[in-house]
Amino acid sequence: MSALMLRSSVRCLVTVFGTFSASSRKVIAQAAAVSHQCYFRKTMHYQTEQRGHQNSPDYRLYFKTSDGKYISPFHDIPLIAETEQENDVPAKKSKKSESEVLYNMVVEVPRWSNAKMEIAIKEPLNPIKQDEKKGKLRYVANIFPHKGYIWNYGALPQTWEDPGQKDKETNCCGDNDPIDVCDIGTQVCSTGQVIQVKVLGILAMIDEGEMDWKVIAINAEDPDAKNLNNIEDVRKNRPGHLEATVEWFRKYKVPDGKPENKFGFNGEFKDKDFAVEIIKSTHEHWRALVQKQKNTGGIDCKNTLCCDSPWRCTTDEAREVVQSAPAFGSAHPVSPEVEKWHFV
Amino acid sequence: MSFSVEERGNPNSLSYRLFFKNAEGKYISPFHDIPMYADEGQNIFHMVVEVPRWTNAKMEIATKDLLNPIKQDVKKGKLRYVANVFPHKGYIWNYGAIPQTWEDPAHKDGDTGCCGDNDPIDVCEIGSKVCSRGEVIKVKVLGILAMIDEGETDWKVIAINVDDPEASEFNNIGDVRRLKPGYLEATVEWFRRYKVPDGKPENQFAFNEEFKDKDFAIEVIKSTHNFWKALISQKASAGELNCKNTCVSAGDSPFCCSADEATAAVGETCPCGKEDPVPSSVDKWFYYERK
Repeated sequence: MSALMLRSSVRCLVTVFGTFSASSRKVIAQAAAVSHQCYFRKTMHYQTEQRGHQNSPDYRLYFKTSDGKYISPFHDIPLIAETEQENDVPAKKSKKSESEVLYNMVVEVPRWSNAKMEIAIKEPLNPIKQDEKKGKLRYVANIFPHKGYIWNYGALPQTWEDPGQKDKETNCCGDNDPIDVCDIGTQVCSTGQVIQVKVLGILAMIDEGEMDWKVIAINAEDPDAKNLNNIEDVRKNRPGHLEATVEWFRKYKVPDGKPENKFGFNGEFKDKDFAVEIIKSTHEHWRALVQKQKNTGGIDCKNTLCCDSPWRCTTDEAREVVQSAPAFGSAHPVSPEVEKWHFV
Repeated sequence: MSFSVEERGNPNSLSYRLFFKNAEGKYISPFHDIPMYADEGQNIFHMVVEVPRWTNAKMEIATKDLLNPIKQDVKKGKLRYVANVFPHKGYIWNYGAIPQTWEDPAHKDGDTGCCGDNDPIDVCEIGSKVCSRGEVIKVKVLGILAMIDEGETDWKVIAINVDDPEASEFNNIGDVRRLKPGYLEATVEWFRRYKVPDGKPENQFAFNEEFKDKDFAIEVIKSTHNFWKALISQKASAGELNCKNTCVSAGDSPFCCSADEATAAVGETCPCGKEDPVPSSVDKWFYYERK
């Protein structure tokens, strides 16, 4: 598998500069003003670079911008994806309502696969790697009738479920990770793919006693995306998928000997507005995390683009991190145990 | 008894063919030359795996082609991929056929009231392992479902790989119900709905959709074996079926295929090449209201 070329649907304002007409001069001025907001990159094309061997503990997927600069998918990818603009409408003047807001999602686990790939929050530049438990690479069980994960699964960048914060409803603390997302779109994405999603709702899962919100979203490029605007639309348009989602999360660790998971709000999905509030608060927790001098919870806050962060490093330092990782090689085989179908 | 496969053409393309060879390296037909029984005394049958669990490409023994290789079914000029009907992904068992069996289209089945579908009898293998296309495995028969697919009799044998770690616990259909709850219900649902995304109606079943047990299943398999014996001895009309074989028919039979003829048939196909990508439309998940 060669390095992937990742593309987002966000237009780069910088590339609008084709001519020198009066209108484009206006856009240049606007872009110049916006470019000082270091959290919002205008160049939204991401690439990944594989290191080590798939299905082995040395596998790492590093992220970089289209001009080859290494970044952290946790800290350096904006939470909000800029919505598409008409070429000569400056960002400030566009009518952007809440319902048009798209979020960037970093895909960790493609639908129907089993390898538990995660953003490595404790490693510099937070590459994606495979989770390990008790010294063994982790593959999520197939819970009948499901095969692997039943959505593209991943995280919203620049969010953090703070273990120092207790959720009011569930009385549980955050799980120390970015907030999780389930993309119900039809396309099967790849690990490391960055897509733009519409948020539709949220589930309050309590995983082994920790707060573990699950955002329900859809890839903005999905043919059904325009018809899905809230959780009720999902219920009508994808009958059974929400119920299957609760069941999946309830049972998925049982084959590993863990108990069934529990949920807040009686296992009900909360709507989009509620989801957006939760996302906002995890974004604020993240901002506090990267701006703090003191290292929290073992998390590596090294980043290349967060201006206000004491953890910001140079592109050279970032390159050194990646170059010290093992060379990319062929994938290791997967144990046939991973194919087993569990009836729980 | 062991078998091997030889790939020709490009997987996921019209050129793809999977030919079979026996332990001596002789080309054989998976339809006619593989014995139905792996162990007659123990009622262990051979199964030719056509579609591995969780895949979508509709691979089939090509009953009308010389040497009956496995190839991908084509409908309306396009390669056929079976739809994902939520919550399922592709096929939910290893799917294939029992060799030396045939559902005779000239025979109206007493239970279904329909004529046979002109194919070997189908098997759904419920073991843990995901088998490979063309793998020949030994199975224990556990039961059978009487499906009526587009008006034709289409029995579905339920079986388990004898090498499955839990095989000794499975001896009849009741064991499947007990040890894999929901699997049989999902099987009926899957067969009922799998062609609906292609615009076909839901399929129907005899016996009120109930699974019959092992003894009943074995009787049905034996009767399809008798139909095949009539076919191969020219007592039944072959129609468009290719009955050529390298191990079963005597030298003077029109169905006897020489080694040279077999080699020529394989030689006419494209050499094995790179796999074509599966179209992304195959990933679509179809949703239906639960009744």
